[in-house]
Amino acid sequence: MAARLMRTWPFLSHFRLGCGGTARFVSQTPSSGAAGSAAVSDLQRAHTKDSDGHVEVSAFKKNPDYHGFSQDPYVDQWNMRMAFFFGISVAIVIGGTFIHYLPDHGMRQWARREAERLIKQREEEGLPLMDENYYDPSKIILPSTGGEE
Amino acid sequence: MLKILLPTLMLFPTIWLTPKKWLWTTTTAQSLMIAFSSLFWLKWASETGWSTSNTYMATDPLSTPLLVLTCWLLPLMILASQNHTMPEPTNRQRTYLTLLASLQALLIMAFSATEIIMFYVMFEATLIPTLIIITRWGNQTERLNAGTYFLFYTLAGSLPLLIALLILQKDTGTLSMLLTQYTNTTMPNSWGSKMWWAGCLMAFLVKMPLYGVHLWLPKAHVEAPIAGSMVLAAVLLKLGGYGMMRMTAMLTPMTKELAYPFIALATWGIIMTGSICLRQTDLKSLIAYSSVSHMGLVAGGILIQTPWGFTGAIILMIAHGLVSSALFCLANTNYERIHSRTLLLARGLQMILPLMAAWWFIMNLANLALPPLPNLMGELMIITSLMNWSLWTILLTGLGTLITASYSLYMFLMTQRGPTPNHIMALEPSHTREHLLMTLHLIPVLLLMLKPELMWGWCF
Repeated sequence: MAARLMRTWPFLSHFRLGCGGTARFVSQTPSSGAAGSAAVSDLQRAHTKDSDGHVEVSAFKKNPDYHGFSQDPYVDQWNMRMAFFFGISVAIVIGGTFIHYLPDHGMRQWARREAERLIKQREEEGLPLMDENYYDPSKIILPSTGGEE
Repeated sequence: MLKILLPTLMLFPTIWLTPKKWLWTTTTAQSLMIAFSSLFWLKWASETGWSTSNTYMATDPLSTPLLVLTCWLLPLMILASQNHTMPEPTNRQRTYLTLLASLQALLIMAFSATEIIMFYVMFEATLIPTLIIITRWGNQTERLNAGTYFLFYTLAGSLPLLIALLILQKDTGTLSMLLTQYTNTTMPNSWGSKMWWAGCLMAFLVKMPLYGVHLWLPKAHVEAPIAGSMVLAAVLLKLGGYGMMRMTAMLTPMTKELAYPFIALATWGIIMTGSICLRQTDLKSLIAYSSVSHMGLVAGGILIQTPWGFTGAIILMIAHGLVSSALFCLANTNYERIHSRTLLLARGLQMILPLMAAWWFIMNLANLALPPLPNLMGELMIITSLMNWSLWTILLTGLGTLITASYSLYMFLMTQRGPTPNHIMALEPSHTREHLLMTLHLIPVLLLMLKPELMWGWCF
């Protein structure tokens, strides 16, 4: 098996193939359950033929500049360019610049400045910094304690 | 709003009318332009909160980060699916893209809905494309079981929600979110109102998922194809969190007592699902259980209803969405090469694909909430606010953080380190597309580190 592979792909001699000649036995029984179904079913996928009679060949053989988008090299290259341009140059760079220059998101810096201004103003006038009550208690009209039905 | 919705709806003509050669290029480009224009939502006009373009759809500081995440995820899903759909006939590829685009449109409408019934309808409607994606394009026979679990768990949770919303509509006369945050729903202290409270929240707790009702999630995540896993982990779980944050605004003061068992379940779930992760043999299942663990923390943060809890929940939702989706993409790069998800079968990949190992490393570090990434920010805020609620939670959340670190390390060591497998003869080198996918996941996480106030919501 290793010898057959060496003939198909000579560069594989760089990898350590096999384990010194002993046969390896792997269970081929189909098992149920999520873990079992994820078991490797095609160990010799590299040299089984698919329905067209072609051996599964890496896309890098035909197109050494394969980017992973398409088998057609022209479309592959343009897809890569579009994805990088719109993804990084437009969305991340221009979008990121837009977000960076958003003024005072959520008025948080304004709130800080306003608080400091009010503190300074109240300290000058000698007023307490903050009232205990949020609303003026004299302005709250409560229903009578008679108990309305 | 319309400048996002109309291009999303126009994705359908793009998908069906583009010639086969340029199908993926055009859809990727268009969805990236939509993602770019969604960034304009982040311009927060004023302190009033909601910024409305019409009475039905509005964005506020809670929904805006989730909307941007949704829009950002569609191009990532398209990039991730390009390889495994290549051998399929063109019409089937177009159908797949149509399902993704329709999911996108429904999610945008769900997150921007002002009327709660509209949110509910969109929430349910997202189930259908997801179900079709899982059951039609999943890879194992278990996908049918997974689809059933997914559909029926979510439906069982959300039909009581419909009843609860109709009761609310009858009582207050309106279900507009703009108003419900101000109306005080004083429900009598009866069993009926407790049922109503549970009905309002169960749908979202199932979706999040809460630990006791989480069984659909590992099945659905594992059996779904990569785009299905990505959208499930990144956005659909957050629909649950978003819904909970909206509903709890109306459910005071009952939540103070009634949330007790759910907070306990959520925090206990962090530890349990984290421990389950350490025993998983299936890589995607490990990542799925890790999602349950993180969402348990989010659920805890939302249920205690403090400003820091809400803020931490939003931050963790966004950060987890990006990182979890990235981990599923990495698992998919493994799967596309060796057609197996078993952890033991693809080890020592650092020697074979070193650049991918760098991505694995960074994403696992992000998953275990490494400072200064936003994952840590969210987790710390939730843990601190949970501690303020009850000091005992620190035992659970602290142990949970430790277990999270250990299973993330376990995932990294099992896939990347160790001896290279003897039975794998040839592995294809990593594609530019895969590296771009990881970059587009990682860069938003890093940029959010620099300006986290985009995610802080309106409570901080």
